[in-house]
Amino acid sequence: MKTRPLTLRRYVLALAGWALLWLAVSAAAVVLGAENIWAWDSWEKTRDVLILRLYTVLTAGVVGASLALAGLALQALLRNPLAEPYVLGVSGGAGLGVILSSLYLTAIAAPVFGFVGALVTVAVVYAVAQRRGRLEPYTLLLTGVIINAFYGAAIMLVTALTSPERRGEIAYWMMGTISTFDPRWSLVAVVGGLALGAAVLFAFLAKGFNLVAVGEDTAGALGVPVERLRLATFVTASLVTGASVALAGPIGFVGLICPHLLRMVLGPDHRRLVPAVACFGASLLVAADLVTRLLEGVGGVAPPVGVLTAMTGGPFFIYLLRTRWRRKTEIR
Amino acid sequence: MKHTTLYVVLALAAGLAAGLAAGCRESPSPEEADGPEYAPKRMRILSLAPNVTEILFALGLGSRIVGRSNYCDFPEEAKTIPAVGDTIHLNLEKIVSLEPTVAFVVTKRADVVKTLQSLGIRTVALESDTMNELLKAIETIGHETGRPAPAQTLIDDIQDDLDTVRRRVEGRPRPKVLFAFPMAVGSSNMMVAGRGTFVDELLSVAGGENAFPEAADWPTITPQRVIELAPEVVIVNAVGEDAAPDRVEAIGRAWMNWASIPAVANSRVYILQDEFLTIPGPGVGMAADRLSRVIHRPGPGETDFAEERDRP
Amino acid sequence: MAAEDRNPVARDAAPDAAYLAAEDLVFAYAPAAPVLEGLTLSFARRRLACVLGPNGSGKTTLLRILVGLLAPSRGRVRLAGTPLDAYPRGALARRVAYVPQETLAAVGFTALETVLMGRSPHTGALGFESSGDWHAAREALRQTDTERFAERSLEDLSGGERQRVIIARALAQEPDVILLDEPTSFLDIRHQHGIYGLLRRLVAQEGKTVVAVSHDLSLAAAYADRLVLLDEGRVAAAGSPQEVIRPEVLSPVYETAVEVRTDEATGRPYVLPRPP
Repeated sequence: MKTRPLTLRRYVLALAGWALLWLAVSAAAVVLGAENIWAWDSWEKTRDVLILRLYTVLTAGVVGASLALAGLALQALLRNPLAEPYVLGVSGGAGLGVILSSLYLTAIAAPVFGFVGALVTVAVVYAVAQRRGRLEPYTLLLTGVIINAFYGAAIMLVTALTSPERRGEIAYWMMGTISTFDPRWSLVAVVGGLALGAAVLFAFLAKGFNLVAVGEDTAGALGVPVERLRLATFVTASLVTGASVALAGPIGFVGLICPHLLRMVLGPDHRRLVPAVACFGASLLVAADLVTRLLEGVGGVAPPVGVLTAMTGGPFFIYLLRTRWRRKTEIR
Repeated sequence: MKHTTLYVVLALAAGLAAGLAAGCRESPSPEEADGPEYAPKRMRILSLAPNVTEILFALGLGSRIVGRSNYCDFPEEAKTIPAVGDTIHLNLEKIVSLEPTVAFVVTKRADVVKTLQSLGIRTVALESDTMNELLKAIETIGHETGRPAPAQTLIDDIQDDLDTVRRRVEGRPRPKVLFAFPMAVGSSNMMVAGRGTFVDELLSVAGGENAFPEAADWPTITPQRVIELAPEVVIVNAVGEDAAPDRVEAIGRAWMNWASIPAVANSRVYILQDEFLTIPGPGVGMAADRLSRVIHRPGPGETDFAEERDRP
Repeated sequence: MAAEDRNPVARDAAPDAAYLAAEDLVFAYAPAAPVLEGLTLSFARRRLACVLGPNGSGKTTLLRILVGLLAPSRGRVRLAGTPLDAYPRGALARRVAYVPQETLAAVGFTALETVLMGRSPHTGALGFESSGDWHAAREALRQTDTERFAERSLEDLSGGERQRVIIARALAQEPDVILLDEPTSFLDIRHQHGIYGLLRRLVAQEGKTVVAVSHDLSLAAAYADRLVLLDEGRVAAAGSPQEVIRPEVLSPVYETAVEVRTDEATGRPYVLPRPP
C-alpha cells in the first residue's frame, strides 16, 4: 500500500466517510428491529418504539466510540496490542465503582465512582506490569487476568452481601446492557461529550502516539512530552471508560477488536486511526445491539450486548494471540 | 497377636451392628410414617413455603410450626419461628435439631423432597400455581394435620370472597391489564404475569383481561413488547427493596416516558406495594378485592403515580 | 599525565567553538553507581566530533543528556549559549536530532512513514504533512541511499538498512545538530564509509554540527575533526585524531596494548587490528 501524505483535505474526507458509516448503521438500527413497527395501527406506539430505539442507538454509539478510543489509546501508551479496558480490568474496576456507589451511596454519583475505579485500575496495572519503563505483553495480560479475578471476587462478595433481588440485577447489569426502560438522556449526553472530547484530544496526540510506539527515546527527542502524554491519555481513557460503564455496564472487547481491524485496513498511523476508530467503534456496537434485538425475534430473548461482544471478541482475541501479534510484539 | 484377624472382624461387625441399630432407630416406624388420621399432639410442622405458613396460621396451627423458610415472614408471629434456609440452601442440621414430624414444601424439585425424607421426616409436596391447586393444597394440609373441617371452612371462605368480587365487577367492561414486577435497575426488561399463572386468574376474577396474551409462567418482556401490548391498566408490584420511596419514584418516572401506552396516557399506572398480591394463600380474596378496586376504580392507599403528580 | 590535565574546554573565544557545551555533568542511574562524574566538554559548530571510550564509560548516557532526554543531577548543557531546559521542546527538536542505537519496535511503519516522523517537529498540531515535508523526507532517503525501501515495512529490512532509515529520519528533521549513537555498528564497510562520508558532507556543505559516538577507533580517526575519549565518566583526552589516537593515550583507558600507524595518504592515524 503506497504511503500517501496526510493532508487536511484527505483527513476531512476520511472523517466524513467514517461518520457517514456511523450514521448509516445508526439509521438502519433505528428502522430495523424484532417488531414490525411500521405495520402498527397507532402512530404513537411506533413513535415510542422509535424513541426507545433511538436511545439505544445513541447509547451504543457513544459507548462504542468511547471504548474503542480508550482501547486504541491504551494500546498506544502501553505499547501493546492486547491492551483494552476490559482485558486490563479497567472496565471491571469501573464496574465495581459503579456497583458500590449504586448500592451503598447514590446512583447519581455512579459515573464518578466508575471513573475513579477505572483510574485506580489503570494506575495499578501500569505499576505492577512495568519493568524499567517497558510493559511486556504477557506480563500485562497476566496482570489484567489477575485484576479481573480480583474484581470478580470483589463483586461476588458485594453480591453475596446484598439482597436476592439486587443479586439478579447486578448479574444482569454485569453483562452489559444498552437499552433501558428509563432513558437517561443526560447521561448519554455526558458520555457523548466525553467521547467527543477524548476523540479530539487523541487526534491531537496521535502524532505523539506514533512516535511513542516507535520508542520513548525517539519520541522524546522528536519533541513529544512523553510523561504528559502518558498522563493525559491514562486519565482520558479512564474517564471515558468509567462513564461508559456507568451508562451501559461493562462491555468487553470493543476496545480490542476495533483498533486491530482498522490497523489491518489503515495501517499503524494513529492520525488516521483515531477518527476511524471512534466512528467504527460506534458503528460496531450499534450493529451488535441491532443483532441482539433481531435475535430476540428469533429466540424470544435478546441477549445482552456484552454477551455478544465477548463471544465474538474472545475467539478474535485468541486468533490475535496466535498469529501476527505473537511475532510482531517481540521487541529486541 | 495371634488372633488379629478375628478381633478385627469382630470389631467391624460390632461397629456395623451399632450403626444399623442407630440407623434403624432413626427411620420412621410404620405408624409415624403413614398416618394422616393420626395427628398426634406432638405434631411438629416444618413449613418451607410462605403461603403454606400463612395457611397453617389460618388453620390455627401456628403454634405447631417448629421451623420455617427464610421467606416465611407473614403473619408477624411467624418471624419468631426459627428459620432453616430455603429450597436452595437448607440448613439440614438445624432441621434435624428441630425434630419436625411433617414437612410441607411447595416445589417441583424431587431432590428437596428426597433429602427431607432421608432425614426421616414425612414430606408433603404441594402445588399452588393455580387457584384450583391452591384449594387442593389447603385441603391436603387440612388432611395431613387432622384439621379437615377448618380447612374446608377456609376454602369456602376464599371462594365466597372471590365470588363477591366477581359479582361486583360483573357487567363492567374488562380493561387490558398488565401485571408486572419492576424492571431491574439497568435493565429494560420486566417480568409480567402470563396467562395461566395464579395472578392471571386473580386478574380475571377482579374484572380485567391480562394484556399479555400468551400462556407463559412469568415471562420477561422488552419495553417494545409492552408498548406493543398497549395495556389500559398497569399494575406494578413493588415489594421489598423496590418499595423504597426513591425506587417507586423512579419506576413511575420510567413509565411516564411512554405516552403511547393507554395506561400511561390515562394515568392508570398503579404501583402497589402490597406483598400479598402474589402469594397464593389465605389472602387471595383480599388480593382479588384489591385488584378489582384498582382496575375498576382507584382505591385508597396505593401509590397512583399519575395522581400523585397532579397533587400540588 | 592525569586525565584532568587534558581539559577539553575550548580556549577559543569564538562562541561557535562551544556551540554544544556540557558543564560539570554529574549523573547516576542508581545512587551507588555514578555514570558521569563532573564531565565538562564542548563541541564546536560545523565540526564532526566522535566520542570514544570503553564499554560503560558513559558515552550513551552523555549523548542522552546532550539531547535532553536525561536530566543531570548536577551541571547543565548549553546549546548556542542557552541552557537546554530553556528551549521549548518543539524548538529543541527542530534544532537537535538524535539517532539512538538500534532498537526495533514492531509497529509496522514503512521506511517512508518512519522518515516522515522526523518531520513531526515541523508539522502542525494534527500532524498534517505539506509538500515541503515530503520533499525533505524524500531528500533524506536519497542521501542515505534508502529510497528503494520507501514503501517497505521497517521490520522487513536488515539491521543495516534499518539503521540508515533511522539516520534519514534524523536528517528529515533538518536539524542544526545531529547526535548519533554508534551509527555504523550494523553496517558493512561500504555503508560505513557512506554514512561517515555523508556526515562529513553535512558538516562541510550544510554547516551541521555532528557528534557521533563510535566504537571503531580507526573509522572515527579517519573522518572526525575532533575526538573525545571518555573513561569512567570523565574526559580522558580530547583533541585532533593525531593527538588522541596514540598508544600512550589509548592503552591506559582501554587497558590493553595498542599499536598505531599513520595513513600516509591522509595523515590520519589508525589502530592496527592486532595486538602488538
